Amino acid sequence: MEPCAILTENLTRRFGDLVAVQDVNLQVAPGQFFGFLGPNGAGKSTTIKMLTGLLAPSSGSIRIMGLDLVADPVEVKRNIGVVPEGMALFARLTGAEYLNFAGRMYGLDRHTAAQRATELLEFMQLTDQPKALITDYSHGMQKKLAMAAAVIHGPKILFLDEPFEGVDAIASGTLKTMLQRMIARGATIFLTSHVLEIVERLCSHVAIIHRGRLVAQGSLEELRAGVEAQAAASLHDPAASDLPLPKPGEKLTLEEMFLRIVGGSREPERELSWLG
Amino acid sequence: MLSQESRGQLAAIAYIRWRLAANSVRNLQGRLELISKIFMAFGAVMGGFGLGVCVTAASWYIVSRGNVELLAIILWITFLFWQLVPVMATAFSQNADTSSLLRFPVSYRSFFLIQMIYGLVDLATAMCSIWLVGATIGVGIAAPRLMPWAAIVFLAFALMNILLGRMIFAWVERWLAKRRTREIMGVLFFLFIISFQMINPMIARFAGHSQPGMFRSIESLLPLERLTPPGLAASALALAASGDLLKAAGAFALLLVYVAAIFWLLNLRVHKQYLGENLSEGAARVAGPKSKLAVPEGWDVPHVSGPVAAIFEKELRYLGRSGPMLFTLVMPVVILFIFRFALTGAGKRENFMVHAPEFAFPVGAAYALLLTVNLVYNSFGPEGMGVQFYFASPVRFREILIAKNFVQGTVIALEIFAVWIAASLFFGTPPLAVVCATLAGVLYGAPVNLALGNFLSLYAPKKIDFATLGRQRASGLTALASIGATVAVMGVAAVTVLVARLLGSLWFATGAFLVFAAIAWGAYVLVLQRVDGIALDRRENLISELSRA
Repeated sequence: MEPCAILTENLTRRFGDLVAVQDVNLQVAPGQFFGFLGPNGAGKSTTIKMLTGLLAPSSGSIRIMGLDLVADPVEVKRNIGVVPEGMALFARLTGAEYLNFAGRMYGLDRHTAAQRATELLEFMQLTDQPKALITDYSHGMQKKLAMAAAVIHGPKILFLDEPFEGVDAIASGTLKTMLQRMIARGATIFLTSHVLEIVERLCSHVAIIHRGRLVAQGSLEELRAGVEAQAAASLHDPAASDLPLPKPGEKLTLEEMFLRIVGGSREPERELSWLG
Repeated sequence: MLSQESRGQLAAIAYIRWRLAANSVRNLQGRLELISKIFMAFGAVMGGFGLGVCVTAASWYIVSRGNVELLAIILWITFLFWQLVPVMATAFSQNADTSSLLRFPVSYRSFFLIQMIYGLVDLATAMCSIWLVGATIGVGIAAPRLMPWAAIVFLAFALMNILLGRMIFAWVERWLAKRRTREIMGVLFFLFIISFQMINPMIARFAGHSQPGMFRSIESLLPLERLTPPGLAASALALAASGDLLKAAGAFALLLVYVAAIFWLLNLRVHKQYLGENLSEGAARVAGPKSKLAVPEGWDVPHVSGPVAAIFEKELRYLGRSGPMLFTLVMPVVILFIFRFALTGAGKRENFMVHAPEFAFPVGAAYALLLTVNLVYNSFGPEGMGVQFYFASPVRFREILIAKNFVQGTVIALEIFAVWIAASLFFGTPPLAVVCATLAGVLYGAPVNLALGNFLSLYAPKKIDFATLGRQRASGLTALASIGATVAVMGVAAVTVLVARLLGSLWFATGAFLVFAAIAWGAYVLVLQRVDGIALDRRENLISELSRA
């Protein structure tokens, strides 16, 4: 039986007295496009950092493709690609130099690294400023470059922390195309995003973390069925969410499911009288 | 006068600086940093006061002997220290980034004032200010009626130095930021060196055939010296002491002209910064139809793994794009040059290197080793958020540090070679025994620095900006440790050389250094074996420190 692409058991991370992530048990099967959602400060970035070796867990275990991340970090990292929160770019290199560097750090030979760097720069439409340093790139260009560096070695699993944040519609389209092609070829993608429409369109499975705890996990359909059943059961419960149920024949959107699961309704509108 | 809004902004900045300082001591590294800063400040103040007492005594002696004009010597030393130390010791200097203030409605006057206030928090400024106070007291004791005038003149001199220091930083930063001007500066620097090499044989010719003529020409330069800021300040005091108040006021007025001119030049730069100037090397977009891009292959570094070669290439590219670091690395040659030409000549006491030219190479090599501290002790400082890449990549930290040390070793070797050439040109080829002892000494000093540097790079990282002059200062803990290590290494080397001289053979020092080198390399390997574990333990701190805005 093929092992899970990502498997965590009781993954926990504390920062002093604050428990940022508590007993998270994630299961991501190979080939899944997995969206990891949660409100601000819920523990998404902390989790993805632990999954990619950027942060040590306080307790619990992480297995990537059946390998223990703590026991075998180099082998794990050889098979994954990461776009972390800060993008991990070297600001005073050019895009081509950085991709060349990234390729060789992942074990590619000089020729292959240069060839793939060329292809990636063209695919990401980053060829019109070949001598510009990364520090002079726009945010969207940096995001595309970070993504290119994360995939240059053809990873089996790709971890993306907010890949579409600050990216324009054209660049976003390019990235989505690339990610969908990767999924079609059997890769696993684990991403966090605040843009629920994108997650809904791209991801086959999602997990929702709230206040450090995993509150939902499964395919979109499983989640929808669960939420609808819960909503129907609590129709006469005055303490239940004030969000309306969908009309017959209409599906709950991911945003609606998300708001129901994290127990939120939109805040009542407040007036800031001094704001022009 | 500042508006109420500006005063509020300055108060807010003072408050935020205080809160940043207070919050920084919440963790162990912050507390160690604070202790090291207190320790260094104490050392600087003690050094400043110690030398201040000397300056007081010297000023008293000069004025009481009636040679007030000779105060120019003290003022020249102060001037050179004030201007050169921040540029030469960038590891200990700080040029604060004020660009983040531009998003607020800060008036230009406030912005300029903040720049000046940041400039005051500087080792050289603190020490030189103490010296000038000492000089004022010395003058006051020798000639009480001259003290108020001395205080005014020295205040203007101090103001000139503060403004000049800021102006030099601002303009050099501007020139170093662009490749074209950086290359022009490099060419000018070498022309400067070569021109002085031509002056030396000319002086020798004068000295051989017509010495009185040469003295006359040097004497004819003295009026020019009186037109420099230190000369003008000394003249203003000397003329006042001799009762020629009108001329004294004239000399002081000329000093103020300098202040005004420097202020104007500084104002040009600061105003550009205020308008949001970006000193980056942004390249133009490729115009017209898109050309086919072919990324060239990375460097082929023989006998090393792909990742080590990639890091080697990346490190050298970073170094090549860092004007301030390149500027720092030419300093050993400049120092030898200064010792050979600027500190010697007719009418001046010759420095020890001219009497003992064989010391030129070891002194230059020791200084070169000291300057590479900036690179070695904070290896991850320039990476910023890029350090995350190392943790995400399938490369062990041992390999990453070997690659970085490989580059640092190459830089040290090139520096030593450049120093050898400079020492040979300026002081004559060093004897073989001296060369061997020096190289053995470097072989012992380098691994000590590399081992300690690797350790501190992981334990006390600090984000530095390789591209901007004055933003290469390592953490206080690192600076303190590097000073300690340098003092220890140099101390052991000095004792070894002393013993060798007592034994009458410098080869003894070579042998001893090779033994020390073997021990030091052993320690280096031991540290290297532990770095993977240390890096994993310290990763959160490393990433958060280097990811700071």
